[in-house]
Order: sequence, then C-alpha cells, then structure tokens
Amino acid sequence: MSILNAQHDLSAFRQEIRKWLAEVVPPDWKGRMARASNEEYIAFQRWWMGERSKVGLAIPHWPKEYGGGGLSQRHLITIADEIARADAPQNRLFTISLIHMPGTLLPHGTEVQKRRYLAGVAKGEVWCQGFSEPNSGSDLASLRTRAVRDGDHYVVNGQKIWSSNSMYADHCLLLTRTDPNVQKHRGITYFIMDMRSPGVEVRPIRQANGRAEFGELFLSDVRIPAENMIGAENNGWRVAQATLASERGVISFEGGERQRYEIEAFYRKSLKVGAAWLRDAQLHREFVSFLAEMQAARRLLRRVLEESETPQASASVLPSIVKLSSTVLRQRICSFMVRIGGVDGQAFALLAEEPFGSPMFDFLSAFSGTIAGGTNEIQRNIVAERGLGMPRV
Amino acid sequence: METASTLDRATLDALRESVAGVLAEQCGSTELHAFIDGKNTLDKMLWAQAGQLGWLGLGIPEQFGGLGMGAQGLAILHGELGRQSSPGPYIATLSAAQTIVETGGQAICQTWLPRLASGDISAAVPATLDVRGLTRSGTRVSGTLRCLGAADAAFVLAPTDDAWVIVDMAEAEVTAAPMWDRTRDVIDVSLKDATPLGILPDAAATRAALTRAMALAVAADSAGGARSITERTIAYMKTREQFGQPIAGFQALKHRAADLATKLAVADEMVRHAVQRTMTDEPDAELWALLAKSEVTEACVFVTTDCVQLHGGVGFTWDFDPHIFLKRARLNEVLIMANTALRDQAAAALAAITTSGRSALELEI
Repeated sequence: MSILNAQHDLSAFRQEIRKWLAEVVPPDWKGRMARASNEEYIAFQRWWMGERSKVGLAIPHWPKEYGGGGLSQRHLITIADEIARADAPQNRLFTISLIHMPGTLLPHGTEVQKRRYLAGVAKGEVWCQGFSEPNSGSDLASLRTRAVRDGDHYVVNGQKIWSSNSMYADHCLLLTRTDPNVQKHRGITYFIMDMRSPGVEVRPIRQANGRAEFGELFLSDVRIPAENMIGAENNGWRVAQATLASERGVISFEGGERQRYEIEAFYRKSLKVGAAWLRDAQLHREFVSFLAEMQAARRLLRRVLEESETPQASASVLPSIVKLSSTVLRQRICSFMVRIGGVDGQAFALLAEEPFGSPMFDFLSAFSGTIAGGTNEIQRNIVAERGLGMPRV
Repeated sequence: METASTLDRATLDALRESVAGVLAEQCGSTELHAFIDGKNTLDKMLWAQAGQLGWLGLGIPEQFGGLGMGAQGLAILHGELGRQSSPGPYIATLSAAQTIVETGGQAICQTWLPRLASGDISAAVPATLDVRGLTRSGTRVSGTLRCLGAADAAFVLAPTDDAWVIVDMAEAEVTAAPMWDRTRDVIDVSLKDATPLGILPDAAATRAALTRAMALAVAADSAGGARSITERTIAYMKTREQFGQPIAGFQALKHRAADLATKLAVADEMVRHAVQRTMTDEPDAELWALLAKSEVTEACVFVTTDCVQLHGGVGFTWDFDPHIFLKRARLNEVLIMANTALRDQAAAALAAITTSGRSALELEI
C-alpha cells in the first residue's frame, strides 16, 4: 500500500512512515553492512530501493506526470526526518539517480529523455556522474574529454574521475568538450552515456577510509547517439549548473538530521554508561559548543530549503555558507570522537553499528564533505566573490 | 512570563528597519568617534530618543506600558545597537526590566516597569553574576558591586545571600570605572545599610531570569557588531589598493572574509534559536541562551580581531572603527560569567533535560 495515500494529513503521513520504517528496517543492518562485501552492500541497496518503491517512497519528490509522488517540500522534509530518526539506510547507490539526474533532466531534458530515463529509476537503474577529470577538479570547466560529431553520433575519448558508484551504474551524466577553440565554459556539451557502451572501462578507486565508492572512467571511442545530448551543443556548462544546484535540497537536510539523532544517541549512551569524557569539563564544554553549532547548521539548512523555492535561490550563496559550516563542524565532531576514543577508537572497522562507534572511519569519511561537491576552498571563492562582491582577479 | 508564540516576520522586519534607520542616521561612525573622545553626549541623546520611540518598552508587557514584543523584539534592538556600537545602558536596563517582568511580582512591576519603558529611568545590574552579593542585616543591605549601568541609574538590581533587591541609587556611593570599551558604562556601587525599595524573594529564579535576559542581549549585540565591522572591513578592502589592485582581490584575504561570513551566519542562527526557544518558553530555553552568549561572544572576538588585522596599519589606529568593535566584543565576552562557566551550566542543563527523557535538540521543520 502506498504511504502517499496519507499525504493529505501531514501528521498521519508522518505516522505512516514511522510505522513502515519500524517494520521494514532490519535492526541489525548496520552491523551486517559493516562486515559486508561490496556485492552484498549493492544487493542491500537495491533491496532497500525496492522496499521504498513498494510504498511509494522511491521517487516521492518527482512530478506525478513522470511517475513521482508530486509531494510538497514539507512532505519530503518529513520523509527525510523520519528516515534519519529511524536510522534507516541512506540511498547512496541511487543518489545521482534520485537527485542529480532529475535535477538536470527536468529543466533541460527533452520530453523523450524525461519519459525514458525518469521511469527507469523506479525500476532500479543506477546513474553516475562524469564531471571531474584527473586534471580538471576545482577547475571543472577546463575539462578535456573530447566528443567529436560523427554522423548521428558523437565519439568520446578521455578520462573521468571521482565518479561515485560508477562500477554499478547503468547511465552516466557526462560532460565533454566539443569545441576546444572557444572560451572554456562555452565549448562544453552534456550527454547521457550508456555505461554498457563499448569503450567504457571503470576502475574502482579505494579511498583513505577503506571503501571504494568512487570509480575512474576510461573512455575510448565511445559512441553516444546525438539524441542523448542534454540541452544544445556547447551549452553544457549551463546545464551542469542545474546538476550542481540539485545537491542543495532535501539530501543535505537529511544529513543534518541524521547527525542530530546520531549525536543524541551517542550522548544518551554516554550518560547511561557514565563515559569517562563526561568527567572532563573541557571536553564537556567542547561538546555543548558542537551542539550549538549543530542547531545553527540545522536551522541554516532549513533556510536553504525555504529559499530554494524562491526566485532568488540561484543567486544565493547560502548553500555555500551552509556547506562550509556544516562540513567543517562534522569534521570537528568526528575529530573529537577520535580523541576521546583512545586506541580502541582507532581499531580498524568500517561503517559502525553504533553512532560514532568507529570514530576513525567517521573522521576519515568526513573529508568527503569538505572535498566533494566543490571543495571548501571553491565554496570560499563563491562566498567572497558572489556573496561579498570581492573582485575576481 | 514570555508570550507563548512568535511574532510574524513582517512585524520584526519593520521594527528592524525603523531601529536601523534611526541609528544609522544618529549613531554613525563620525558621531561615535566624537562621543568616544568626549565631544558629544550621544548616549543621552540616543536614550531620550529610544524612550520616545518605544524601544525601551519592546520587551515589557503592554499592561505595564510596553509593546509586548518579548525576546524577539529585544534581540532586534540589541542587534542593531551592536551594529552601530551604540553607547548607553541598554543591556543593564532592558535586562533588569525583563527580570522584573518574570519574577518581580505585581507591585514591583507596576512601580518600575512603566518608568523603565518610557526611558524616564535607567537601571544597573551586576556586570558578572557569580560574584558575592550584598550582605543583609535585618532590612538593610551593604556591600560593593561592580555594575553595568549609567552613573545616573535610578536603581540597582542586586543579589543578597537569599534574595534579590532593588536599591535606590540615591543611597549608594557610585564610582565610575572607565573601561577600554567606552561605549559602555561600568560603575562601582557601594551601599552601606541601605533600605531596599523592593525585594524579589525567589533568588534562584531571579538570577536565572537575569542571566537569560543578559545572555540574549549580549549575544544579539555581539552578532550585530560582528556583522557590522565585517561589512565595514570588506568595504575598506575593496578600496584599499596594494600591488596595483584592491586587496579584496587577493585569495588569501577572500577566504578569510568568507570564513567570517560563515561565522556570522552561524552566530545569527544561534541568537535566533535561543530567542525562539525563549519566546515559546521551552524547557531548553536557558541552555540555548547560555550557549548563544558563550559561542557568539567568542565568534565576535574572533571576527573583530580579524577585522583589525585585515585593515592593516589603519586597523590599529584610534581614528578607524575596528578597535571600537573589538573593545566592545571583549567586554561582551566576559559579562555575566566566564564562558567556560556558562558552558558548564549548559552541560548541566543538557544532562538534566536528557536524563528526564526529553530532547534538547527539537527544532521545528
């Protein structure tokens, strides 16, 4: 039964989600995933997407005409809040499928593209993003992966990097250079690439936290049909802005709420067992400072959501300010956990069963916040230049 | 006794605009520097105006001659006063008034609140609240307190061993204690066998109310001051040229400015959060007020310090603005109690709320 049937009464809707989560989320999922192989992890992610799909919560945020629930932002926030509260799994394998792909196709895709690709996600199609290159990280617009027109196809050669879950992806949001002779932002074209095309090779990249979520894409004479172009030729930079902007939404809100429940569970447990750090006044002070910053960060995330529905949203630097404050806070909280965790806290363990149960894993993972999605240094440039009007030289 | 709801945004924006407009006109950099050098009586002039415009009654219920806008209205006023580093006994007087509203009882409220709301009188309160109070012998009180407030304040609200008292300043020997922050008056109030005009018998509740009122006021003042000096500093960096370009174009400085902007956004939300929890009278209101004061005053010290540095040589001169904000930030930092002590209290409050099975982290969606 679809939970969406209860959408007209927000508190009933919340109760339905809570009830469903209590039934469906396996209590030991974190422990199982901590020991899982990549294949088991992927199978689990697909299972979770299937479960969400059964109750109408796979793509509740999409317009109804493309199979979504057409829910209001208040509903999406409610879903995110309940999922965070229940400590239910994140939809990590499907992040690009659920957020970036529709964020790009809805404003810029053709009707045919929207019908075909949006429908695929509910069936479990995985998307990845082919933006960064080994020599084009922060300077994304300098990308060099070439696409050359050949009849009704484009032939693509080059290399992409930091592509999350590309090892399991069916499709890729790909940025290419189609005109090398103009200003760098003006010669970029955006494609949908079938990951099973001949000439696509993916190699996983192992991160400092032991996991391998990213892949490196090697593209050799990959043929992409011209109809897979999103937007016009050489207009890809503008389309890419929609992809990047889509990260600002409910997904970051859920992260903030998750941290709230995590830190609260950690604190309750500390009180219950009389943890040693509670007897250290200085650590205790540091901890309450984190809480003050966390509340501020959660409030800022709410403001970003509020603002995202206004016309000024695209010019606002608030998302950058939020990223700067909340990712650095995350890092500091995780660093605190490492410090109080002693030698045990550094015992090798992936994905902890308990909140902050593997402090070193969390600490290392926190770099994805300060580096991915535009490094914090790039965010500082954005805040200074676009927000404070400081000149670009 | 706060109103159990929050005011709508349009009302608050209108208030902010009107306060900001008056202060920008009357308390600009030039007037402020002249005041600091003893060349005008900006504090008196602003105070008279504040009384006429109803600012001093923003937090006082309507039945006692105020506007009943509670902590939200007060936070806007203190924020704007902080923005211009405005001189005057606002924190002392308005916090004393809020305390009387909460624990003064009907008679004391009726006696003092209308006069405070009109600006007819100002009040003094201890600059720090963890000091030894006055000693009481029979109906009389004695002792010396270092207070925040003007030398011509009508009364001091002061702790004794087992209560708080309102004492007529006419009975006190008052000595000015000039601070580095010349925008604030600090005075030493000595009492010898003075007879209180009023007694607030619930010492703990009164102390808590004054702590909370001062914490919110100081936090809002600091957030406003930090934002203002940052804006002034960035404006300066856009005009100051070195190596053939405005220094605002250097990435090393841009990144620092962006970090300041981020700190300001966080500080503003800390103040808003504490104010909102107070407005709706949540059990965690005290916790967030204590943390807002400790966090935001420290952020403000960081920001104002960096603004001196970002100005370069002129930032260290008497004639430029940064030192005024820096000095005010440093005084704010140590008011009420050391921030370490406030955080200790906050930690205790957090433990109490959590142990009782509630959450201190609830936030409206």
